[in-house]
Formats: sequence, C-alpha cells, structure tokens
Amino acid sequence: MIELKNISYQYQNGEQVLDDFNLTLEPGDKIGLVGPNGSGKTTLFKIIMGLLAPDEGEVIIFDQPREKEEDFIEVRERVGFMFQDSDDLLFCPTVEEDLAFGPLNLGKSKEEAKEIVQETLKLIGMEGFEKKVSYRLSGGQKRMIAFGAILAMQTEVLLLDEPFSGLDEDAIERMVGILNDTDRSYIIVSHNGELIERVTNKLYYMNE
Amino acid sequence: MHISEGVLSAPVLLTGAAATATGTAVALRQLDNEDIPQVAIVSAALFVGNLIHIPLGPTSVHLILNAMAGILLGWKAFPAFLVAFLLQSILFQFGGLTALGVNVAMVSIPAVVCHYLFKIVTKRDEEGIKRLGVAGFICGAVGIALAAIFLMLALSFTDGSLEEMGRAILVANIPLAIIEALLTSLCLVFLQKVKPEVFTEFQDGAQSLQRRGRL
Amino acid sequence: MININQGFAQGSSWVHQLDPRIKIITIFLLATVLAVGESIVMLLQALVFSSFLILSAKLDLKEVGKRLMVVNFFILGIWLFVPLTYPGEALFQVGPLSFSIPGVIYATKITLRSNAIMLGIIALLSTSTVSSLMQAMRYLYIPEKIVYLFFFVYRYVHVIWKEFNRLHDSMLMRGFKSETSLHSYRSYAYLIGMLIIRSYDRSRRVYEAMLCRGFRGEFHNLDELSFSSRDLKIFSGILFFISWIIIVEKGVFLV
Ligand SMILES: Nc1ncnc2c1ncn2[C@@H]1O[C@H](COP(=O)(O)OP(=O)(O)O)[C@@H](O)[C@H]1O
Ligand SMILES: [Mg+2]
Repeated sequence: MIELKNISYQYQNGEQVLDDFNLTLEPGDKIGLVGPNGSGKTTLFKIIMGLLAPDEGEVIIFDQPREKEEDFIEVRERVGFMFQDSDDLLFCPTVEEDLAFGPLNLGKSKEEAKEIVQETLKLIGMEGFEKKVSYRLSGGQKRMIAFGAILAMQTEVLLLDEPFSGLDEDAIERMVGILNDTDRSYIIVSHNGELIERVTNKLYYMNE
Repeated sequence: MHISEGVLSAPVLLTGAAATATGTAVALRQLDNEDIPQVAIVSAALFVGNLIHIPLGPTSVHLILNAMAGILLGWKAFPAFLVAFLLQSILFQFGGLTALGVNVAMVSIPAVVCHYLFKIVTKRDEEGIKRLGVAGFICGAVGIALAAIFLMLALSFTDGSLEEMGRAILVANIPLAIIEALLTSLCLVFLQKVKPEVFTEFQDGAQSLQRRGRL
Repeated sequence: MININQGFAQGSSWVHQLDPRIKIITIFLLATVLAVGESIVMLLQALVFSSFLILSAKLDLKEVGKRLMVVNFFILGIWLFVPLTYPGEALFQVGPLSFSIPGVIYATKITLRSNAIMLGIIALLSTSTVSSLMQAMRYLYIPEKIVYLFFFVYRYVHVIWKEFNRLHDSMLMRGFKSETSLHSYRSYAYLIGMLIIRSYDRSRRVYEAMLCRGFRGEFHNLDELSFSSRDLKIFSGILFFISWIIIVEKGVFLV
C-alpha cells in the first residue's frame, strides 16, 4: 500500500535527516517504527502525507507514484495521520466538531458525520464528550480525541506518531484494544518497547 | 491605545469604520482560506502581546505591536487587529463595538505604513542585520507615533474641547513609542537569527508551504 | 492577571438563552443609537435598560463593576480635561481654572453613553459562548473568512496564552526580574519573538493537520440555529424599546 524507495531528505538548514531509506507497508502490516529522538520518524510521516517532498527517492502509495500536491489529495483521504502534538490536530471549539471535521471534508452529510462522531466516541470510550470544549480537556483526553479524529475518517491506513505518550493505563489499554481489533494497516512510532511489541507485527529501526 | 465607547462623534466613528472596512476588504482579497490559520495565529499572538505589561519606571505600559504585525502581515494586519479587538471587546470590553472601526484603523493604518517602510529600508542590502535592527527601530517608533496621532485627530475632530486631551495622550505615548521601537528592533533581529523564513513565509501565506513542500 | 475564559457565558437566565443572532442585532442597534444619541433622558433610559439586562442575566455584580472600572479609566481622562477646555458659562472656579457647565454636561453624556453601551455588551455578548456567536455571525452575512479567522483566533489565544505563561514562568525561574532596563526589554523582545516563532510553527502544523484530514479550503458546519417563539417575543420587546428611545432622542414628546 505504501512503498518508499531510496528516500533522502535534508532540511533547509542543511540537516540530513533521511538517507536512502526504504520501507514497504502491505495490507495487514502493523509496523512499529523505532529510533532515537531526532532520527527522522516524524519527517518520514510528513513525506508519506506529502507535507514534505523528498530530495531523492520514490513515494508510491496505493500503487501510484506520488509527486505533485494533487497526487496527495487522495493519499490524505485514504491515510489518517495522527500528529505527535494533539494541539495541532484539535482546533474546533467542541469535540464533536473536531471529530466531524474530517468526515465532512470527505463529503459525508451532517447526519452521517454526527453518527460517525457517536460511534467514534463510543469506540474510544469517551461517550458524553461531544459538547465538551476541546482545549479544556486534559492532555491525555486530548490525545484520545485526536486518535478518534483520525479513526473517524475511516481510512485504510493509519500513521500514528507517538500516540501513547501522556495516556493513563486505562486509555493505553483501550488504544491497544482498538489497534488489535482493527484490520487497517498502520505504522506506529513509540518509545515504549513493550507496547510496540503488543500492537505490531513488523519492526523498522531508524538510526541517526 | 483604545478609545472608549461613547466618546467619538458619528462622523469620526463612520470614517474609522469605513477605513477599517476598506483595509479589511483589501486584505480579504489577498487572503485564501488556507492562510486563515496563519493570520489567526499572529492575531492571537497580538492579542496575548497586548496583554503583556512592560515595566516603565514606576508604572507599566501595554504593548501594541502594530509595527510587528504590519511587517509580518502587511494588509492582513487589518483583519488580524479587527478580530483581536472584537474578541477583546467580547471577553473584557476593551475597545467596544461602535469604536471598533476607529480603534482598528488607528493601529492598522500605521501597521501597513510600517510594512512598506520596512521593505524600503531593508531592501538595499539583504544580509545586513544591523540594517534590520535600524528598520525595526524606525518602524516600531513610527507605528506608535502614527497611531497616537490618529488618536489625537479622532479626538480633536469629535470636539474642540477634546483637543487638549488628545495632545496629552500623544505626549504620554512617547515613552511607549521608544519601548516599542526598541522591542521591535530586538525582536526582528531575534527572528532573523532564529528563523529567518518567517519574514518571507508570512507574506506568501500557505502557498509557500506547497511551493516548498512539493513542486 | 486577565481572565481569558468566558466567566459570564455560564448561566441559565433568559438572557443567556436568547438566540445569539438576536443578541448581536440588539447590541448593534442599541450601541448605534446610543453612540449618536444626545438626549440625557434617552441615555439614562438606555442605561436603565442595560442594567436591567445585567440583573436579568444574574451576573456577578462585583465582577461587572471591576470591568466597568477599567473602561471608565478613559472616561476619567475626559472628566479631567473636558470641563476645563469646553467653552461656556462657568459652573465654578478654582483659582485660574474654570469648570464650564456645558463641559460638565458633555462629559456626563459621554459617561452615560459609554457605560450604557458597555453594560449592554457585557449583558448580551459576554453571556454568549464564542462558538455560539460565531455561528450567529454566519447567519448574519459576516464574511466567511472573518468568521473563521475569529474562530481560529479564539482557539489559539488559549494555546498562545499558555505558551506565553510557560516561557514567562521559565524566565522567572531563572531569576528574571521585570524592570526598566535594557536587559529586561531585550528579554521581553526575545520572549515575543519566541512566541511568534512557536505560534508560527504551530499554525503551520495546524494547517498541515487540516490538510491531512481532507481539508481543501472549504469549511462545513454541523449545527443550525432556530428561533423559539419566546425569542421572537423578547425580540419584539427589544425592538419596541429601541424605537422608544429613538422617539425620546428625537424629542417628539418633549415640549
Ligand atoms: N522544520 C525543521 N527544520 C529544520 N530541522 C528540522 C525541522 N524539523 C525537524 N528537524 C530536524 O530533523 C531531525 C528529525 O526530526 P524528526 O523527524 O522530528 O525526528 P523524530 O520524530 O524521529 O524525533 C531532527 O534532528 C530535527 O532537529
Ligand atoms: Mg517525532
């Protein structure tokens, strides 16, 4: 579904982050991406989503080479990317609107969107939060809602950038349960080796 | 630097509202939906910046940062201040509603002036960080001085008896002009050293993201 | 310091429940009439009306008073100057200073106007949540871009406020003292610069996150507003009152 071939990326300030990197995600793959801070995991996700363009290499997603901005519109509709910082993801006044933002963009009607909101809240165990104000939630609650916002898009692939950080044990268990139950493919970044082991079936290591 | 509700005469209020409407209309034409988060964030930063007390001898002053806003946003300073002031008016009644147009125009027109002034002063040599500091100093001072002059004019045109007060406010704003000049200058140098992209990218808006990301 | 949360928006009075569109139209009409109004009788009636709204909204009067004080700071300046500079018959004289009667009347009018409008804004706008006001603006033909700008600004004011406090606290932890010195001003300049950079980075990430959720420059809204019959009754009452003060202003009944 996702194929990265010989990707190199350098930031404007000259920092070489990725050098000849390869990765393949097949249907059913649950990939754990491990590596020290600053090794380029977030950068890699941004390249997959078309937010950054690699200096060299090929990005092939859903069997199509992706180069131009237009190529990535479809990618963004079919791949959900959960940002490392939930404050970047949640920007609506209420939880309900934040969860509905993606579905509405994908052309769902208001009724469908509201239904998805309800299902998602139930799935992540946060029923009754729809009218709560997003910015007033706790860090962990925000992260759960951000996770929900990505799930609500009902994409085939998920990219999860450190989704567990700041969650209590209860929430972690819920997230692990959801990940184990889903048949979507995903790539997940986490520094928690034990959790990675529980939710993935493949590992990629990145070094500096 | 706000004029309270209920002070100014109808012609002055209308002039201010018209100026703000025009400036905002020009800015909105430049503003794509994709640029909204970016302008919003500067507007929010201005909102917060306006609440910072800077000590001045035994008292303190509130920053306005209109030169900074103008340098970064150009004409988009109009909607940025419009929204910031509207929100301040709703949250804690600074600036009011009928005086909103005057208050926004008072700081935004100087902001746009500073925008062009900054371009003129910095154009000639690109890398000169000293020149950037000087440009910042001039803009910071001009931004406040012009705003204070507008305030004085708004008061004098309302009624002759307010002229004295207007002049007193103008004089009282001289220290603020110096502080803003200093801060704008230091702040621009800081931005140039830490993240020079901000200068160009605020101008180009979201397109620059796409241009740099994918071509 | 300053409370950027909407303390007054919580409440269940009829003022709180009034349709936000009605609130916006009311305050707009009221403020306009008051801003150009000259009749002291009319201004007094409007002040009573605004105070009535404040009382009906059951707001914490102490807090309302505090906010009014801040607003009246500028008005105090008017009182310091206008009675002295306004030409006219002297009310009384202190040494070389003469306080004119028309000056005092003029300053009184400004005070009444200003406070009546401010109380109106507190009663009508501060009692609505920002998201309900935003929704109302959409119905009232406010340009879409302004509404969304407003929406993002409100959202990010909180984030940046927190960011500011984090940075400021860490400065204080390292022994920073706010004073009139170049070092202090430079620190503030850096603080503001850092605030701009962080805000800027965040705005980019927010935009990227929106793109990743299928955003293509068009916003969709979820809820719709609808008037209740009580809203309409209250609105007719308000329109009646505003017509009344216009009549008073025009002096139709005054001999
Ligand atoms: N916008 C940027 N400009 C310059 N360098 C950056 C930028 N973003 C990240 N980097 C650098 O790229 C490297 C990899 O960052 P990132 O992909 O975020 O790492 P990770 O997610 O693995 O911790 C880091 O060394 C970081 O300093
Ligand atoms: Mg990362």
